[in-house]
Amino acid sequence: MKEFVQKHKQYLLSGVSFAIPFIACGGILIALAIGFAPMGASGPDFTIHEGYNQLQTIKITVLKHILNIGSASFALMLPVLAGYISYAMAGKPGLVAGFIGGYLAKESGAGFLGALLAGILAGHVVNWIKKLPVHKLLKPIMPILIIPILSSLVIGTVMLFVGSPIAGMMEGMQKWLEGMQGSSAILLGLILGAMIAFDMGGPVNKAAFFFGASMLEQGNYHIMGAVAAAICTPPLGMGLATFIQKKLWTQEQRESGIASFSMGMIGITEGAIPFAAAEPLRVIPCIMLGSMTASAIAMVYNVGNHAPHGGPIVLLVIDNRISYIFAIAVGTVVTALSINLVKSLSQSKESL
Amino acid sequence: MKFIAVTACPTGIAHTYMAAENLEKTAKELGHTIKVETQGAMGIENELSAEDISGADALILAADIMIENGERFDNIPKIEVPVQLALKDPKSIFAKKPC
Repeated sequence: MKEFVQKHKQYLLSGVSFAIPFIACGGILIALAIGFAPMGASGPDFTIHEGYNQLQTIKITVLKHILNIGSASFALMLPVLAGYISYAMAGKPGLVAGFIGGYLAKESGAGFLGALLAGILAGHVVNWIKKLPVHKLLKPIMPILIIPILSSLVIGTVMLFVGSPIAGMMEGMQKWLEGMQGSSAILLGLILGAMIAFDMGGPVNKAAFFFGASMLEQGNYHIMGAVAAAICTPPLGMGLATFIQKKLWTQEQRESGIASFSMGMIGITEGAIPFAAAEPLRVIPCIMLGSMTASAIAMVYNVGNHAPHGGPIVLLVIDNRISYIFAIAVGTVVTALSINLVKSLSQSKESL
Repeated sequence: MKFIAVTACPTGIAHTYMAAENLEKTAKELGHTIKVETQGAMGIENELSAEDISGADALILAADIMIENGERFDNIPKIEVPVQLALKDPKSIFAKKPC
């Protein structure tokens, strides 16, 4: 059973690894286009109005084009996710059913969860068809004809039935998230922050990250805002900790503090790993505390992030920029002070 | 011993390469030879050749995802671990028994 779960986790993460560049590319291009577009009464306005001069017309045309490219990348995200989950399980023959399943998940509104399900199902179905005994004459056309057609029919039919219930669920979750204010928003922020810092770029971190990123596609930017703030505080905080109390840290750690800080600036949580690897029980609780603080603050102040990435580097595509910086700063300071406190306490104990 | 290794993590920008570096460093400390192929966001780098594979005693597979071209390693003893272990405690990987 444990091995079964382990394997499936690997399949899912394989799909995620292929989908991440699509999310990043799509998210950033869309955010860029929206960021520079003129604001109409109901959000960014990409129509060319009468009375625009030539320069304005060109600007809108270019922005609209960028928006379309970004949207194309986003539209491919779910098919790629499901397709490569299936690919990880069943190899090349799995691609077709996975891609189609992911596409149908997108079309039916079943979204991220639907795509995960479609990918896993497609992989199993294809692996099962592969095992069927077939005549020697049929063998060559199995991978290019029989398997794709048969497996697509199966997945397509399944998605027909499960698509709309999942879509309903996603919509319900979306409504629930939108309605979340006050204490429940803080709670979600705390959970996401803890997950982000817990394994610094590992599977738990990716689960929280992907949740935020998939919410972007649903038009909710606040989850990603909280995630983005939490992403950068572990490396920023560890860096800061080495700057403010040098004597607590070895020469080597002080050097990696600088690297860690700069990785934090560009939103790479992994920067904190060298510290966490050396003293996991001291470092991980402290960076979790900092990330939880940062994402809870971001939640409270309705920070939105249009790009599936974190750290100060995405500032251009943030809503409520001041609050975002505030959230990061507080989270960073909390991380640094708590780890230095823990370290000085344990060091004074050792010297006794 | 002669090791070969493949590292791969979901994002493929940090853990993959840090794990590879750690494995190389630790192998050297323990007096083993090792060649590490990385399967990160850039795809396969430092690819293991057929000679590398046939000449090796064991494969260390430090991956959170399904690796590409895994069928190359069908006939070699393997030590399979999560990427995290190569970051936290690489020595323990070399102490494991290949199977």
